[in-house]
Amino acid sequence: MSSSIANETVAATSGQEGFSFYRLVTNIYFLYAVSLCTFFLLWDRVAAWQVFGDSLARPHAVAGKLYDLSQVKFAGTNLAGHIWASTRRVLVGFTLASAIAVPLGLFMALNKYVNAVVKPIFDLFKPMPPIAWVSISILWFGVGEFSKIFIIAIGTFVPCLLNSYNGIRLIEPELYDVIRVLGGNRKDEILQVSFPASFPAIFAGLQISLSIAWTCLLAAELMNARNGMGFLIKRGMDTHQPALVLGGMVLIALMAWLSSLLISRIESRLCPWKRSIDNL
Amino acid sequence: MSTQASEDKIRVINLTKRFGDLTVLDGIAFTVRAKELVAIVGPTGCGKTTFLHTLSKLMPATDGRILIDGEEADPRRHNISYVFQEPTCLPWRTVRENVAYGMEIKGVPHQERMERTDRIMDLVGLSSCADLYPNQVSASMLQRIAVSRAFAVEPDLLLMDEPYGQLDVKLRYYLEDELVNLWRKLQSTVLFVTHNIEEAVYIAERILVLSNKPTRIKAEIPVDIPRPRNFLDPKFMDIRHQVTELIRWW
Repeated sequence: MSSSIANETVAATSGQEGFSFYRLVTNIYFLYAVSLCTFFLLWDRVAAWQVFGDSLARPHAVAGKLYDLSQVKFAGTNLAGHIWASTRRVLVGFTLASAIAVPLGLFMALNKYVNAVVKPIFDLFKPMPPIAWVSISILWFGVGEFSKIFIIAIGTFVPCLLNSYNGIRLIEPELYDVIRVLGGNRKDEILQVSFPASFPAIFAGLQISLSIAWTCLLAAELMNARNGMGFLIKRGMDTHQPALVLGGMVLIALMAWLSSLLISRIESRLCPWKRSIDNL
Repeated sequence: MSTQASEDKIRVINLTKRFGDLTVLDGIAFTVRAKELVAIVGPTGCGKTTFLHTLSKLMPATDGRILIDGEEADPRRHNISYVFQEPTCLPWRTVRENVAYGMEIKGVPHQERMERTDRIMDLVGLSSCADLYPNQVSASMLQRIAVSRAFAVEPDLLLMDEPYGQLDVKLRYYLEDELVNLWRKLQSTVLFVTHNIEEAVYIAERILVLSNKPTRIKAEIPVDIPRPRNFLDPKFMDIRHQVTELIRWW
């Protein structure tokens, strides 16, 4: 008794045509390449013509600078050491904060008493930009590792908590009705509906938090640091080395992108149901 | 009437629901025999959904009793199943896991659960997409999953709230046939709410017509037409006309 009436049909049509100019200029990858080449060419020309005086390095100079840094020690460590110093701060701060914020957000959404206790304090601190904490944390904890981790944790905390909280709040009530009507108890509701349903929102929160974590890291390192990518940028500014500044910027963007990719990977591993039929 | 009464699976006595001063359900009383398929039709906004919510115990009734096999209905003890207007699949479970989900909550042993799941998915033609996730199948498939899940727990009472209201006519006929087929094979007791009179006459053994708010049962019409039913059968048209008049009259 199999039916064809409502079955999904996924038709993949691939037209095979010969080469033509039109097909080339409408090829997405070709356009990607054009876009990137134009950007780098423009950058190179702007730098070569000294539009910003000597304060803009040419792309190959930035690449060369990064290569040099990877070969020799700079301020006590090589490039990998600087990258690791920054990444470690982000990892520690981000992990600590999310490990507390996510469960707390879930608790708040599931229990109105927890919510009533935590929410007012949280609302008080929520609108404060995390970077506002930089100075006070240096006063409290000095200029060591802890104050940097503290700022990252503060910045990470808010979106993590908000998203896990809303992730549960925004679940369609019908999903609970299904369980209730079947005679399920509160435990079934939480385990079968609340937790899995909140996963995508939690991961969205982690993504936002992560990008904020890198921003906070940069703020902390620009303020005071002896190593890390923010330190490279700061040092490049102080000694007027635009290649070093841009190199640091590129690196931090690269690391932020890689870490967000990692979170996406973990999410698609944990939530296979979010796959659409396209990339099945 | 005593033999009749002993066959009664569901007895609803004086079911009343008030929201403040607004009386939505006003002393509704009816019985459903075991393995009967009863359709409930009524004008839009007559409180059909409230009616089902109180029947399923999702919403407390203001007054009245609902008895299943002579006992007060209780979702923990009785097997009540509900197919909602909107398909309610869990997006993180595959089609197969969604069908089995109701039985999991009910604590049906693993072996039996798998067997029943396979059987029902075969009956409704879901086997080919057993391992897909709900976001990978069409809207009609989603509702079939919900219907399968509801039947799979072998409910004492299966409530359906306009499950096919959102679908196009062709698919609707198809799924109505499928529903009748499932009901006959699995011998469940079904209460089917709809505003589509033709649908009611097509599937039901008996039709309860609701009045406008405050809602009462206005009429009870047996549909003793042999199956498969034909929309052009004079008797079919006669009953459809009868029900239409009852609803139009208010």
